[in-house]
Amino acid sequence: MIDADTDIVCDAGPIIHLDEISCLDLLDDFRKILLPFSVADEIEKHRPFALKADLPFSVLRGHNSADERFLGMCRIFFLDIGETEALTVMESHPEAVFLTDDASARMVAGYMGFKVHGTIGVILRSIRRGQKSPEEVLSILSIIPSRSTLFIKSSLLEEITLSVRKEFNI
Amino acid sequence: MKTVQTEVPEALYNKVVALVNEGWFRDEQDLFSEAIRRFLDTHQSELMQKFIRDDTEWGLHGND
Repeated sequence: MIDADTDIVCDAGPIIHLDEISCLDLLDDFRKILLPFSVADEIEKHRPFALKADLPFSVLRGHNSADERFLGMCRIFFLDIGETEALTVMESHPEAVFLTDDASARMVAGYMGFKVHGTIGVILRSIRRGQKSPEEVLSILSIIPSRSTLFIKSSLLEEITLSVRKEFNI
Repeated sequence: MKTVQTEVPEALYNKVVALVNEGWFRDEQDLFSEAIRRFLDTHQSELMQKFIRDDTEWGLHGND
């Protein structure tokens, strides 16, 4: 079974995307949801009520890395301030899972040896965590193109759907 | 070459102009082309598919 004490550090994307499809509650399975201030600010601009959800959000201020090599890598990969701050938080919480839907941020997180996942992973994870049934997850996946700003190639979304159907004989 | 017309936030555009005025780029087009090229380097379709497939594996079979 899963370690219920897992903390997550979030970029804005997954919070916004999960809120758009009314799935923010899937994050209540994590012990803490660590948000750098700039990420919280970005979320509030796009989804003003998302951070008012009854979830263990913890907004962190003053997370600035002094590591010039790390900052240089963030610049090379065009990471924005929120992504950079989130990765800085990861430096002090290396056991946490970093949630982002940005390819560049995932690359940098991977290079730094962090566990990193995105919105799709959280949605599918809800099955093995007993939060959603496979059928409910299929329904959620089906509304992503129309309800969410998470862009995902339709053939890949279909591939994910088939994986769920196959896994649970649906 | 293709001509593209788009809108960018003014603050972002001002940074572009500043870099060009400082002499780091020949002109705004040069900077935009370089920025897009770099973005595309890190957002290749195969890479993004790999990330989503990794997510699928973690979501269905992970242990955290």
